[in-house]
Amino acid sequence: MSAREVAREVGARLAEADRRGLNATLAWSQAALDAEAARVDAMPAGGALREMPVALKDNMVTTEQPTTCGSRILEGYVSPFNATAVERLRAAGALVACKANLDEFAMGSSTEHSAFGRVRHPLDPERVPGGSSGGSAALVAAGVVPAALGSETGGSVRQPASFCGVVGVKPSYGRVSRYGLVAFGSSLDCISVFGRTVAEAARVLAVISGPDPRDATTIDRPALEPEPAPQSLDGVTVGLPREYFPPDLHPGVKAACDLAIARMRELGARLVEVSLPHSKYAVPTYYIIAPAEAAANLARYDGARYGARKTVDGDVRALYRATRGRGFGPEVRRRILVGTYVLSAGYSEAYYGRAQAARSRIAEDFSGAFASGVDLLFTPTAPTPAFKAGEKTGDPVAMYLADIFVCPANLAGLPALSLPLARSEGLPVGGQLIAPPFEEGRMLSVAAALERHLDPSAEARP
Amino acid sequence: MSVTAKVVAHVADLAELAVEPNDLPSLTEQMNRIVGFVEQLAELGEPGKATSYVAGPQATPLRPDEVRPAGLARPPSAIAPEFVDGFFVVPRLGGMEEP
Repeated sequence: MSAREVAREVGARLAEADRRGLNATLAWSQAALDAEAARVDAMPAGGALREMPVALKDNMVTTEQPTTCGSRILEGYVSPFNATAVERLRAAGALVACKANLDEFAMGSSTEHSAFGRVRHPLDPERVPGGSSGGSAALVAAGVVPAALGSETGGSVRQPASFCGVVGVKPSYGRVSRYGLVAFGSSLDCISVFGRTVAEAARVLAVISGPDPRDATTIDRPALEPEPAPQSLDGVTVGLPREYFPPDLHPGVKAACDLAIARMRELGARLVEVSLPHSKYAVPTYYIIAPAEAAANLARYDGARYGARKTVDGDVRALYRATRGRGFGPEVRRRILVGTYVLSAGYSEAYYGRAQAARSRIAEDFSGAFASGVDLLFTPTAPTPAFKAGEKTGDPVAMYLADIFVCPANLAGLPALSLPLARSEGLPVGGQLIAPPFEEGRMLSVAAALERHLDPSAEARP
Repeated sequence: MSVTAKVVAHVADLAELAVEPNDLPSLTEQMNRIVGFVEQLAELGEPGKATSYVAGPQATPLRPDEVRPAGLARPPSAIAPEFVDGFFVVPRLGGMEEP
C-alpha cells in the first residue's frame, strides 16, 4: 500500500468519526493528508513508522494546522514552527493525521472542558473518554488511527487510555522533548503516546524519545530501542502498593486487576505487597503545584503577541483582563486563580512549600519501593470505568480524584503505562505499570508479555 | 482558611483576569472547595526547608552562546493581533500601580 492510499483510508475513517459525532478532531483535511502522503512517498525507503498515521493532541504545534489547545484564546493561531516530536514522527515516515480535541490547555479528566465541545466515548456517546487527551484516545479506540500523541501533566494519557481500552505510555520526565508542546505545568509536562498495542506505542515512543538541544530538560540518554516481549516473567518482581487497592475500589476494576495479577503470577512473576503511604497526598499536592505552574505559564496569553484579542476601551491592562477573562474557559480560570492564590504573599509557604515537601515524600516512597527489590509496580489506572458526561463537572474535586492513581508517577517523574485488562459492564478497564526512571524498556516488555495473555474485550466478573 | 469573594476578586486582579460580578459567588465557592481539599497537606506537618523535587537533569546544560536562525515558517506580523513597523501594537500603558 502507498502512503497515498493510507491517507485516503484515514481520511474516510476521520470523516466517519466526525459523522458519528465523536468530536475527537479539531483540524484535519484530505488535502493535508494527501500532502503528508506525497512527502512520505517521496522519502527514500525505510523509516521506523513509515505510512503510520498518527493523531496529535492539539497542544503540540504544527505549521500547517491551527493549534488551539481547545481554547478560544488561541483560536486561529498557527505556529511558526513545529514541535520536535512532530518533526521526528515525520522524519520516521509517519503521516500527521489530524489535531485532536482536548480539555482546554490540557486541564481536565474528561475532555468536557474543550471550548469546542466535549469528546464522546467511542463505545457509549453518553460517557466521557477521559482526559485531558480524550480526542487522541478516542481516535485510537475507534480505529481511526493506530497511534496518537497526547500529553501528561497529571495522568492525561493513562487515564483516557484506561477509559477507552487502548495502551497509553507516559515516559520518564526528560525522555521526550517538549519543544513545541504548549506549556502547562513545566515540572510535570510529558509528551506521551497512545497505541492499539504495546508494540505500536513503543515504536512511536522510540522515535520521539532522545535528547533535544531545543529542550534543556531532556536527558542525554540514548533513544529507546523497542524490545521483544519475553516468553515468561521469571525473575521479575512486581510490587502491589496496598494504598492503590482500597476496600471501596470499584468491583469491576478490582476484578480486572485480580485477573492481571493472576496472569503475571502464571507467567512467573513474583508479586509482593508494598506500601506507598504518601501517594494519598498526590492529588492535593498536584492541585497546588500544577495550578501554580499553570498560572505562570498561561500569563503569556494576553492578546498582545498572538492568539485572540478582545478589543476594549482603556489601557493595556484592560486589554489583558478582557482578553483573558473572555478567552479562558471555567476550568482554566479556576486553575489560574488557585495557582495565583497559592503563590501569593502570605500563602506560598502554607501551600506551595507544603506541596513541594509532599512531592519529595511521594517520590521517596517510590524510590524506596524500587530499592527494596521491586522491578515494577502494578495498580489500577483509574478508580472506575468511564463515567457519564456531566457526572463530575459540578464538583472540581470529584473530577480531580479521577486521577488519584495516575498523578503520583507524574509528581515523581517516573515512566508508567496503562494496559487494557478487561471490561466491566461493557466498559474498558486499564491496569497501570510504573517503573523506575528510564526503565521504559523493561516496563514495555513486561506489558507486552502480559498483553498476550489478556483478553481486553472479555468481561471481568467480580 | 476560608477564601472570601474579596480575596477571589483580588487574586483575579493579580492574575489579570476579568471576572464578572455575577460569577464571583460560584467562583468563591469552588475556590473554597479546592483550597479546602488541598489543605489536607497540613497533616504532613511544617515543610521546613524542603527542597523542591524535580525530575530531570540535575544541572542546567549549557550550549555555546551563538546566534542561530530560528527557522520560523512565518513572521510575527502573521501571528500578532496587531503589528506595525516591527512592533506589537497594544493600547497605551495606564497606571500599573493599584490606586
